[in-house]
Amino acid sequence: MNTQDTTSVSNGAEKSMLPEYAVTFDDVSFTYASGEPDAVKNLTLRVKRGEFLSVLGHNGSGKSTLARLICGLLAADKGNVRVWGYNPADRQEVDEVRRHAGIVFQNPDNQMVASIVEDDVAFGPENLGVEREEIGRRIEWALRTVGMEKYRTSTPTRLSGGQKQRIAIAGVLAIKPDVIILDESTAMLDPRGRKEVVDVVKKLNKEEGLTVVLITHFMEEALLADRAVVMNRGELVAEGTPEQIFEMGDVLETFNLSLPEIGQIRKELMVSGIEIAPCLQPEVLAKELADFASSKGIKFNCPPYIPQRTSFKGQNEWDIDIRNLTFTYSKKSPFATHALNGVNLKIDEGEFFGIIGHTGSGKSTLVQHMNALIKLPQAEKKYKKPKVKKGEQPPVLPYLRVGRYDLSDKKCPWKQLRCDVGMVFQYPEYQLFAETVFDDVAFGLKNFRPDMPQEEVKLAVRESLEAVGLNYDDVAEKSPFDLSGGQKRRVAIAGVIVTKPKILILDEPAAGLDPLGKKEIMSLLHRLHGDWCRTVIIVSHDMDEVAENCTRACVVSEGKIFACDRPSELFRRGDELRALGLDVPLTAKICKCLADEGMEISCDLTAKGLCEAIVRSFGGDFNA
Amino acid sequence: MLKDVTFGQYYPTDSFVHRLDPRLKLIFLIVYIVMLFVANSFYGLALGVILIIVTVFASGVPFRSVLRSVRGLLILLIFTSLLNVFFHGGENLLVKWGAIEIYLEGVMFAVFLMLRLVFLVMASAVLTLTTTPVSLTDGLESLLYPLNFIKFPVHVFALIMSIALRFIPTLIDETNRIINAQKARGADFESGNIFKRVKAVVPILIPLLISAFRRAEELGDAMDARCYSSAKKRTKYKKLRFGWRDGVAALVAAALIAGIILLNIYAVDICPAIAKYMVVL
Repeated sequence: MNTQDTTSVSNGAEKSMLPEYAVTFDDVSFTYASGEPDAVKNLTLRVKRGEFLSVLGHNGSGKSTLARLICGLLAADKGNVRVWGYNPADRQEVDEVRRHAGIVFQNPDNQMVASIVEDDVAFGPENLGVEREEIGRRIEWALRTVGMEKYRTSTPTRLSGGQKQRIAIAGVLAIKPDVIILDESTAMLDPRGRKEVVDVVKKLNKEEGLTVVLITHFMEEALLADRAVVMNRGELVAEGTPEQIFEMGDVLETFNLSLPEIGQIRKELMVSGIEIAPCLQPEVLAKELADFASSKGIKFNCPPYIPQRTSFKGQNEWDIDIRNLTFTYSKKSPFATHALNGVNLKIDEGEFFGIIGHTGSGKSTLVQHMNALIKLPQAEKKYKKPKVKKGEQPPVLPYLRVGRYDLSDKKCPWKQLRCDVGMVFQYPEYQLFAETVFDDVAFGLKNFRPDMPQEEVKLAVRESLEAVGLNYDDVAEKSPFDLSGGQKRRVAIAGVIVTKPKILILDEPAAGLDPLGKKEIMSLLHRLHGDWCRTVIIVSHDMDEVAENCTRACVVSEGKIFACDRPSELFRRGDELRALGLDVPLTAKICKCLADEGMEISCDLTAKGLCEAIVRSFGGDFNA
Repeated sequence: MLKDVTFGQYYPTDSFVHRLDPRLKLIFLIVYIVMLFVANSFYGLALGVILIIVTVFASGVPFRSVLRSVRGLLILLIFTSLLNVFFHGGENLLVKWGAIEIYLEGVMFAVFLMLRLVFLVMASAVLTLTTTPVSLTDGLESLLYPLNFIKFPVHVFALIMSIALRFIPTLIDETNRIINAQKARGADFESGNIFKRVKAVVPILIPLLISAFRRAEELGDAMDARCYSSAKKRTKYKKLRFGWRDGVAALVAAALIAGIILLNIYAVDICPAIAKYMVVL
């Protein structure tokens, strides 16, 4: 057994014997394959018992390796890791380590073993040989702690992402660990799910006294912790309270991290000479601005915001017109679910359109109609007109036109349609299959235009790879599976735009990426929108993303269009959106707080627009 | 494409039959099948059909759903029955047409065999309609428990089954997503000759396999982290319990066995005039 830390090893149950540190790293290095750069390099870190630590870092910074070293899923090449005094690299002690430190991974689907919630939660205690009655008590306690006691006999596959992840946390809690590690456990969730999980984690730390190690690339989540560390290329590069980390400002960007959005807004204001203290909440920012105004004796005066509406005539070649769209899954079975219920929507050519809604609101079903992956009933081969009795109204049929295609017509050229309306699914990198990047990108082209000469195919592939920011000569002959996550996603997008679609639809294009990756994908989409596709439609649950990028957006809720407008108008209806369980972008929150301080502001709700409006209302630049 | 797959066709409702211990249901099914094969007369089959009707009523599953399970086997059933009609000898000649002779005994025998198979399929359907795959595995694990003594790792086997069941819906979703994504890129899975169609499956299969391996790896890590080890002794939270319902069902099974034995012995005496036709074997 471990000799260094004998006090804690002998009998951890006694209070006086509890170790001071839950986890310690002493000069630890680890590499996945010799010759490759170290994934973790000379890392020294101490996590106090009961502490809430967040580990920040971009994708590939080594933060997940850190988590795996703690749980004994990997063993350090150099240095010592101790968890509650036990050595995770020791085969004898790893069981004790895992009893004390539980881990929740990123993908909730891939950590469940059973088809029923309570069976899954029972898995850990069963492995430890805990008595039946005690397992029952632990299941009840764990599910209550994560707020899922109502779902004890449910099937996990029918739950939302946030609920599944809470079940995964309950499964770890049932082992009764002292430390809980969350390895990017919120990365795949929508904002509602993320909030659910974060609330549970806070509660575990504050009420149950668990030591928490939260690994994330969301700066907003890191702010909840007592202490934060930043990793970059396997090394620990910064440490301090979240506020201190946050103060570092631009330095963070050299670690491929970005300031939380509120920090960026403050930075922008500071450039114009508006001096305000660092702040993390929109309320505080509004207060700071009010104080600044009164100290300088400024009379706040916001000029009215006149939206620069690009005038769409509503009669362009590639408009989308949807009327009365209704759709039911598994019709006539006990599992029937109404996905869409009378949707009316018009999207003009040239828009950057956003579709907002929860998982399960029907937004994916809606976009799948646009390239006929789901066909209208009257366009199906087998469709027969229903007989209408005299005196009765015939049923109203849905109508759907996308550009020059009438999708309610049986004779619609489906292949042509799909060529002109490109669709990028969620996590598109999981659809890559070919031996080389070239073959994968050319796949669509070969399907749609089998007669295209090889030279032209080559040119088109080159163009589209370059359009997504990849170097053709570097990647074309590589296997797509050898690329990094971000590169894979770009290849997948290239494989859709290679046919030069007029309309490009993307389902959650930025899902699972770190802030920098998100920014890059969005600017890529803007480039494509300019000179590649006429219309871009994104499905998103990130309100900031929509406010920042979209010309117009609609909110889908329970199979209906709740509202459709410019973001600046749409997000004014904060209370209604919150009632639907949706959030508003940070800019809208700031506007609301400013209004509470007596400073009504009107702007387009992009970060830049907001800052400009504030500066203008204050009477201009203070540097001058 | 795979939208309406509901594995094991479990019919979700609450009933007497749904609540029975899965082990008992499995044993009951075996007893019932043995009974069908032991019965030598239509009286025995009558007992069988009564039992099925009573069970289906008690289960709350619509009769259609049970009959639907037979539909798939219809061609096979008709084919085997016809063979019997043509090749079974007897005393009462019904039709003679060239070399083909059809006897009354042959027809009776064919009907008997067909009913036997129909009841067998219906009874199995009642089991899968009223038992979730999960409790079926639990039942199987419990029944196979004695195999532990010959060093057969029953719990590993059961865990494999339950993980497989757990991932079927997840992988079906994933397959649908991949199919849609490749369709959006112009892939065509519905036309062309057999070779073309097989080739068209590659863009679905490869991403699906890669994802399955990725999931397996992550699941393995998650299981390790939750202290799993196949070598250690585990406890089991879910214990199957015999309730009063199971007692009732067990009594019915016992009565069934007794009934079938009696019917087999006295079949000829029930109504000697028609015994010739009723007692087939």
